[in-house]
Amino acid sequence: MKISRLEAGFNYAVLSLFTISALLPLVGVVLSALTPRAEATGGLAIPSSLAWSNFKAAWAEGHFTVYMRSSVIVTVAVVALTVALASAAGYGFARLDFPGSTPLFFLLLIGLMLPAEAFIIPLYYNLRGMGLTNTYWGLIAPQVAQSLAFGTFWMRNNFKQFPTSIIEAARLDGASEWRLMWQVALPALRPAVLTMCLLLGMWTWNEFLIPLVMVTDESLRTAPLGMAFFQGRRSTDYALLAAGGMIVAAPVVIAYAFAQKHFVRGMLGGASR
Amino acid sequence: MKAVHLSRVLAVGVVGALGLTACAPGSGSSKPAASSSSAVSKDVAGAGDVTLTVWDVNVEGSGNDTQEALNKAFTDKYPNVTIKRVARTFADIKTTLGLALDSADAPDVVQANQGYPDMGTFVSGNLLRPLNDYSTLYGWDTTFPAGQLAINTFSSDGKTWQKGNLYGVSQTGEIVGVYYNKKLLDQAGATVPTTLPELEAAMAKVKAAGILPLSFGNSEGWPGIHEFGVVQSATAGADAVKGLVTGSGGKWTDDATVAAATTLQSWASNGYLTPDSGGVAPDAARDAFTKGQAAFYISGTWNAAPVAEALGTDAGFTVLSPKGTTTPTSTGGIGLAWAMSTASKHPDVAAAYIDWVTNADAELAMLKSGNLAAVVPSGYTPTPGVQADVVDYWNKVNAADSLTPYLDYTTTTFYDTITSNVQELVAQRITPQAFTQALQADADKFAAGK
Amino acid sequence: MVTSGPGARPRARRRRSWLGLAFVAPALLVFIVFLGVPLAQSLWYSLWHWDGFSTATWAGLSNYTALLHDDGLRTSFGHAGVLVIFYAVLPVTIALGLTAILSRSIRLRGVGVFRTLLFLPQVIASVVVASTWVAIYSPNGLVNQLLRAVGLGSFARAWLGDFTFALPAIGFIGTWLGIGLCLVLFLSGVSSIDTEVFEAARLDGAGIFTEFRAITLPALRGQIVVALTLTVIGAIKTFDLVYVTTRGGPGGSTTVPAYEAYSKAFQQREVGQAAAIAVVLTALILLVSVVINRFNPKDDG
Repeated sequence: MKISRLEAGFNYAVLSLFTISALLPLVGVVLSALTPRAEATGGLAIPSSLAWSNFKAAWAEGHFTVYMRSSVIVTVAVVALTVALASAAGYGFARLDFPGSTPLFFLLLIGLMLPAEAFIIPLYYNLRGMGLTNTYWGLIAPQVAQSLAFGTFWMRNNFKQFPTSIIEAARLDGASEWRLMWQVALPALRPAVLTMCLLLGMWTWNEFLIPLVMVTDESLRTAPLGMAFFQGRRSTDYALLAAGGMIVAAPVVIAYAFAQKHFVRGMLGGASR
Repeated sequence: MKAVHLSRVLAVGVVGALGLTACAPGSGSSKPAASSSSAVSKDVAGAGDVTLTVWDVNVEGSGNDTQEALNKAFTDKYPNVTIKRVARTFADIKTTLGLALDSADAPDVVQANQGYPDMGTFVSGNLLRPLNDYSTLYGWDTTFPAGQLAINTFSSDGKTWQKGNLYGVSQTGEIVGVYYNKKLLDQAGATVPTTLPELEAAMAKVKAAGILPLSFGNSEGWPGIHEFGVVQSATAGADAVKGLVTGSGGKWTDDATVAAATTLQSWASNGYLTPDSGGVAPDAARDAFTKGQAAFYISGTWNAAPVAEALGTDAGFTVLSPKGTTTPTSTGGIGLAWAMSTASKHPDVAAAYIDWVTNADAELAMLKSGNLAAVVPSGYTPTPGVQADVVDYWNKVNAADSLTPYLDYTTTTFYDTITSNVQELVAQRITPQAFTQALQADADKFAAGK
Repeated sequence: MVTSGPGARPRARRRRSWLGLAFVAPALLVFIVFLGVPLAQSLWYSLWHWDGFSTATWAGLSNYTALLHDDGLRTSFGHAGVLVIFYAVLPVTIALGLTAILSRSIRLRGVGVFRTLLFLPQVIASVVVASTWVAIYSPNGLVNQLLRAVGLGSFARAWLGDFTFALPAIGFIGTWLGIGLCLVLFLSGVSSIDTEVFEAARLDGAGIFTEFRAITLPALRGQIVVALTLTVIGAIKTFDLVYVTTRGGPGGSTTVPAYEAYSKAFQQREVGQAAAIAVVLTALILLVSVVINRFNPKDDG
């Protein structure tokens, strides 16, 4: 459809306005992070000189070597375990008929809507009883459980859409269901699995409440948790806080830069954990 | 994504929940009873390889350096001991210590806040080990004044403060008082105040001279306890405040406390306080004072080192005396108690460490780095300026027994009650009467539940 | 093993039926142990008074009646209601308005770039977002800078420390996040509308309002449902933002149910009361999901 140049210009202006307002706070963070520490007042200002050393200082003073390592370990583990468990479960629900399949699937779906508050209080006492608080497993297991609802739902839908003829042909060739899933269906669903991995990775990386409750040990704190306590310790050191924030956000933002279609598609589908 | 009949999902959930059978929460838990029956010993070298996890709050500047040095000296003396130090801010400790003590791998030595919300709760949960035996062994019962020991004492059920077992000893002393900037006072023609009316008169002059009288940043709530405590101690006197906090007499709605609330609120309406103090970070308030942007700053002696460092001999420290007396009276006490967790597998080593960081050598090291020691060794000459003032007042308030406990010790919920209510009071959202009624209601609820 | 049954289903299918359970079982087990059981326990805990250490005492429904009587707790749910306006109502309305303006130029060149940038805040950890806005609302932060720049310096204040403005200030962070999400969502919905429909409407002389009401809005029903579900739930369960920006203060002016549940459970040691808050919060979220999804055109199982 043709629209007038004037209208197009107006539309660009509106879009630009809102995009700028969406980005302004983030631009402020980048500028603050580069402002010499004594100069940073929390406002939006062009730094007099670029203080790249803020990142080094924030990294050291915020203990981010430890926090980022924890975050990487937890995120990788949660994503890997969820993909394995959710793929199997999704295949089971989509392709195999078994007694109780429908009620069990609905049971899992409850997880799609549950806030962490719904289960974290007893979970904390249960995990403490099992000696799992203050361990990586105390961070990983609850987040795998939380991710399984979305993961299973996502994989089931994708396995359902997978052409039945291919499955049937492989079955006639005598392939086991296990092989059908791993070697026939899953490789063909690589883009969908990637979307799921990215979303799960983002949610796990950004999670705050579960680490806040489950670990008190310095060496297990994840990056967002470390950031929150860093904020408490250096509440007026705006340059350092901005640099710390950029460090914590960087991995997800970089992933987003390379694979934004996956993020947008997944989240626009209404996915949330 | 939500293309599912949600009502059916819910039905399944309810059915699942109904299938539940359980017994009372906590009934299955069996914590080892806190026993100090086994013989205690000073032997550290013979304990084999030990890793001691220690949580302390000496995160800032000179305090941090001194703590590091003390730890190093300890491990140099006992190479078989490794110290895993976790240094956290007070707010951080307040959030996480309960969860940490309550886990299987609890730290061995922790700095615990005194009073009902923290130490009382930990004692009732059997998370801290009574230290009476070690107190005798190391002579803490004679090194520390009885008043200091009482603050670190709780009944074994955690319900009665200042009676029963000793649960820790403190490294530093604390008075919350009024820091002032001599230069700015001179500029405004004001003098160093020693009473509340004098402070108010000085603030009026400072204000008239176009200088911010009192730097106050209360976004985290706890500075409000100090601000109000200083005023209340001056209006009510030490005995009345002690009675309120220990629950042994008086009411928060008594005239003297209402007067304190009225005074603090008037400071806000007169423009004596940093505007919008409820949104100003405590650090920012201290920075404003140390940069010479305000004449007064109410805070504890733990800030003596940074203040002295920034303002040198321009800075001073004063403690107000109640009307008609010359007894400096203020909120204060001792630093967080160095306590031992019930879960510690090496109590002898932990106790030796606690002694190490609180003995005379450690106290001297703390003083030399500009901090206030719980027990100032006789013959110590303080640095002139803030530290001289601080040590002078510390000796005076100890001699007169005129330190009042931190108000948040009062009940398990008092910290939240008083912090939020001081914020409301200063923002002119509640009357002084309503303020004191809220505090009394909290005290009543606690007394009823005991 | 079942050996007979009605009908003549092939044997292979019946054999597989138990295999399916094996595929599903590991995921279900993890889900039930770490999420299902604790969920049911939350209900159970909420019926007790418990300090987290000692043996609990039976509370009946008193933790729930406290939600009605305790001013602090009641207010926290009220605050969640206010946040719904900021997180959901405002962004959806504003984004719909923008979509109405933009709906015909959806195939403008470079829309993809705008979409990528508009969506960026969604992927940033809420703790970092909160920390960013703490600086923006600080006494010398961006908001006060702007006010002073336009001569409204007398309105400048410490926004997060102000009893009246702290909650709206937190809410506005949600609005900022929500507009990006809703706009990207609606623009993608509009792009699936056949452009000829718009062209036909224009030939009929339809104005921008008619066009929006008759074409765009009905086509966006699914997206609106998704947007409302995400944003309303996000508002009701707000925790991270409050924890980092105000911890419920000043006074109790920004307490929210999720923060109260956390603070009661792990700070004040009123575990039963905390569980009751969590249960009500969860029920509210499920109820809201059900109600909003009734309007979903595709909700047919």
